[in-house]
Amino acid sequence: MGKGIVSQDLPGIGTRYDVDLGSRSQRLSIVVRRDGVRDLYIFTSGSDDPVAVIELTDEQARKVGALLVGTYFAD
Amino acid sequence: MHAELLGFGALVLVAGLLARAGRRVNLPTVPFFMLAGILLGPATPGPVLIAHPEDLSLLASLGLVLLLFHLGVEFPVQQVLGSGKRLFVAAGCYIALNISAGLALGFALGWGGHEAFVIAGALGISSSAIATKLLIELRRLANAETPVILGIIVIEDLFLALYLALLSPILSGAGSAGELALRIGISFGYLVVLFAVARYGARLVARVIDSREDELLALLMVGLVLLVAGISAEIGVSDAIGALMIGLVVARTTVRERVERLVLPLRDVFAAVFFVVFGLSIDVGEIGTVALPVLAAVLLTIVINVVAGLVAGRLFGLNQRGAANVGLTVLGRGEFSLILATLALTAGLDPRLGPFIALYVLVLAVLSPLLAANSRYLARVIPDRILHPGWRYVREETISTACTHLDRIQITESDAEECPQCVATGDDWVQLRMCLTCGAVRCCSDSPHNHAEEHFRQTGHPLIRSLEPGEEWRYCYVDATLVREPIGSTRP
Repeated sequence: MGKGIVSQDLPGIGTRYDVDLGSRSQRLSIVVRRDGVRDLYIFTSGSDDPVAVIELTDEQARKVGALLVGTYFAD
Repeated sequence: MHAELLGFGALVLVAGLLARAGRRVNLPTVPFFMLAGILLGPATPGPVLIAHPEDLSLLASLGLVLLLFHLGVEFPVQQVLGSGKRLFVAAGCYIALNISAGLALGFALGWGGHEAFVIAGALGISSSAIATKLLIELRRLANAETPVILGIIVIEDLFLALYLALLSPILSGAGSAGELALRIGISFGYLVVLFAVARYGARLVARVIDSREDELLALLMVGLVLLVAGISAEIGVSDAIGALMIGLVVARTTVRERVERLVLPLRDVFAAVFFVVFGLSIDVGEIGTVALPVLAAVLLTIVINVVAGLVAGRLFGLNQRGAANVGLTVLGRGEFSLILATLALTAGLDPRLGPFIALYVLVLAVLSPLLAANSRYLARVIPDRILHPGWRYVREETISTACTHLDRIQITESDAEECPQCVATGDDWVQLRMCLTCGAVRCCSDSPHNHAEEHFRQTGHPLIRSLEPGEEWRYCYVDATLVREPIGSTRP
């Protein structure tokens, strides 16, 4: 796994990737479930509870991923 | 025929509607399927949709078989084998504690030795589905303790295979000890054979059921599973274990992912039918007679699980919050307890087992999400010394852990510039600390009086921060640790 990303098996659910964003104030965990659903856990507040959890379907995750990679969507 | 279809359809629909209503408030589905069966069954006053539950027994056993088959197919063998010794120790403690507590209660009830053995399993083996859904709903997938919880319930599934292999020979009513030993030998020998098939014969099995068309794969798959389950039942090993093992075999083949996808809707429907049919057999009148044993069982389960959570927390160096979450998340009992109840009733054991396990599952179904969601209250009362020795793991292994008392933070800023107690006595201080719960400003531990710690001892307010300019650190007296700067604090 690339530097700054730590993976963790979640038996029966899938795999979790903790992304180190280089600052203490932000953290991102992505859970890739075996059925293709992705959960984005976003931590930006002063506790161990995530401030937001976003559940993406396989297709939604692809779109978001493409945007993050820099693909341009005409529509 | 028309009447049967009508009653069955209505019953399944009601079960689905009830479960959907329960899901609105995050309750698990399995108990509601069972509840629908109880309410509309022949033994309960009021409308009766199915007068002869035994007519549905084939559909119900199809549900049981598919449930266990799916469990086998999706069993994450690699993840479990790679998870290390510590997890097996934690899961072993969890299982040993729960099973022995169940066994003790079973014998205390005095319904019989076989019954006690069934109660041990019904109380000891938690529902993977309920725990997994809870973790997703409570948004705890990123927590430090979550891999531990998931590891424990997966290893429990593995234990289920061994338990079933032991249970069916015991329930078969062997006359002598020798005969019992023989039957247990056959049972475990059969397990070994199926393990060998899983190891070496997976390709052959794949060739038997593989087809490019989903339609045929689904059909061949169901046929194979039912056949193996039937053979297992025929030689005195339960159909449940045969289904589980053939699932493990299929999991090693190339068609695994397609099978997993195809079996899922079938399992959902027929497993629900299995739970409904179990409910139909329950006599509401008997539930009153088992209320006290159920109460004892529920309390015992909660206490034992909290203890097991502490053991796991200590092993993995979790903090109070993690340990409380482990203990209270694995509380749900569901499919396996009901399967065991069905096996026991089929074998002609004490009929009180049916209502006993039904009520037990129902009560825990309501309690477990509530308790899991409020685990922080338990975390607060767990004494530090129970978990403390494990803390070295936190530093060595970067399991992300924070102080459990962060929810006690009420106030984070102060412009006070003196320690009022030192001022009152005319003493000096070195640096200033502020209590994060009430905002009191006191002097630090290098000062002559260390009023900050005195404040903690008097009030129990656990957290302080430094008030020195440019210093942001926080310290927790209870956890005796510097609190990691909360991730995401927006202050510079």
